[in-house]
Amino acid sequence: MSSPNLDAGQVAFIRAGVSISIASCAAGGVPQLVRGIGCRVADDGSSVTIFVPEAKSQAVQRDIFATGRIAVAFSRPTTHRTMQLKSSDARVTAVQPEDLAVVDAYRDAFVAEVGSLGFPEGMVRLLLACPPHEVVGLTFRPQEAFTQTPGPNAGKPLEAGA
Amino acid sequence: MSEVRLDTIRECFEGVIPAVLATADKDGVPNVSYLSQVQYMDREHIALSYQFFNKTRANILANPLARLMVINPANGAQYALVIRYLRTETSGSLFESMKARLAGIASHEGMSGVFHLLGSDIYRVLELQRVDRDCPPVPEAARNTLAALRVCSERLAACRDLERLFDETMACLDQKLGISHAMLLMHDAAAGNLYTVASRGYAASGVGSEIRMGQGVIGVAACQRTPVRISHMTAEYSYSRAIRQQYEGMPLDEEIPFPGLADARSQLAVPVIGCGNVLGVLYVESQQDLRFSYDDEDALVTLCGQLAMHMTILQNAEPEPEQAAAPEARRQAETAPLLVRHYAGNDSVFFGDDYLIKGVAGAVLWCLLKDHAAQGRTSFSNRELRLDPRIRLPDVSDNLEARLVLLARRLAERSPGVGIEKTGRGHFRLCVRQPLQLQEMAGA
Repeated sequence: MSSPNLDAGQVAFIRAGVSISIASCAAGGVPQLVRGIGCRVADDGSSVTIFVPEAKSQAVQRDIFATGRIAVAFSRPTTHRTMQLKSSDARVTAVQPEDLAVVDAYRDAFVAEVGSLGFPEGMVRLLLACPPHEVVGLTFRPQEAFTQTPGPNAGKPLEAGA
Repeated sequence: MSEVRLDTIRECFEGVIPAVLATADKDGVPNVSYLSQVQYMDREHIALSYQFFNKTRANILANPLARLMVINPANGAQYALVIRYLRTETSGSLFESMKARLAGIASHEGMSGVFHLLGSDIYRVLELQRVDRDCPPVPEAARNTLAALRVCSERLAACRDLERLFDETMACLDQKLGISHAMLLMHDAAAGNLYTVASRGYAASGVGSEIRMGQGVIGVAACQRTPVRISHMTAEYSYSRAIRQQYEGMPLDEEIPFPGLADARSQLAVPVIGCGNVLGVLYVESQQDLRFSYDDEDALVTLCGQLAMHMTILQNAEPEPEQAAAPEARRQAETAPLLVRHYAGNDSVFFGDDYLIKGVAGAVLWCLLKDHAAQGRTSFSNRELRLDPRIRLPDVSDNLEARLVLLARRLAERSPGVGIEKTGRGHFRLCVRQPLQLQEMAGA
């Protein structure tokens, strides 16, 4: 499958302080969910790593080991702009020291994003809390990308500039 | 086994933080989406809003098992639910209630015209677990709603007439549940509308103002026999619009302004149902977002059950012996007569140029004034009004008591020259304090 070619604006969007949710599913199983706490993306969008807490992501990790399948939705709370990436070559990866700075920066950005909606910083930090040694990565090449911003185009393949 | 009970995490379903739903197609390809609305139904069921035909929709039709993640906005606690899709409802009480709530959410989120409810997807909750253990406790509640409800219930049970029952209901909401803007409307099945008999917290009482069945939160609550709770301001269900539509094509001088807040951000309308009939609607509102919770809704539904029972008992209670009428101040003979006109078409009554009342209450007033003019009568009983062919009361559940409360209040507010006073349950006195000139008009 070819890469959906994220444009620079889309790469910037998923790197920003947006809500990140990851789903997986084993054959015949119940879908699993975990909230992401940061994201590293290649400039051309060809590779994405989502950071998740080890303890809360074990079921997702098991599914990914078994299937390689992942779905990740990115949504900006203040605008509802939402996109979803899917892949079937996901794997669980170790975190590099420089990734922890990405996780810290994500927390600050998300606190600022939802702070404008009135959510207290302490609560948001707790929601994204994870000791540094428990951060793991879920790395994949996006194979499909969809817009999910509410409206008539929701669910359609992502187009450049969208 | 679930570790947490669904009815203890209802604050997660207020739409403050979007829920996240994971589904998979029949081959196990996952999909994840954000949801604007999750509705608590009972301890085993929730309903999700179906707004667009999308991948989520296709997936649950092919593979009904899904996982939902919700967050308590008060402390950030996350919960994961395993749910199984059962069916979709596209009409009826659940659907209408969710549609009204979604309109509030859409308006709050700047998504009016984008969020549209196509259906209520009903799911059974198979598992519910808390994801993290170290969240701070939820802040203490402003009050113990159940204890407050008990006091309200006792106070309603002590009321010996309908007028007192209505006022006590309003007072209880304010004093015990901290709800300072409220109104009570009675259902007029023949006219297809609801009329205000009591209110609290407004500059003008609005007694006698009307809402059509199906219109706005109050009308939808009555029509669908379901509580309707909106947590954010929405133009779609606001009164200004309901009132405007209601009076289109009607002479404006018959409009009694509705007392509602112009800037209500939270609204809750609860039908008053007794013996299977919609007797009326209790409506409360606030200028705060998210003012009314699931607990408040439970409290008001319970209170309305009590109210319905006491209304039914009091409407059918045996009359009490009539009390001796207090001596009335002598009428001022030198005052010019007040022209009172009655339009037979809709029984509307005007005092001078001012509209007073119409419908059954208008017909009652006109009969009282005619009997007073012809025979000098001042004492009347509910029983004789029920039998009076001029009034044309519906046979069953005539609501005569409620209409007399309405009439007494309109007179007290609008006409110092004429009033009615209770002289015991089932009896009242007409007080005419200035000369009247009665004029029967041909049409409405």
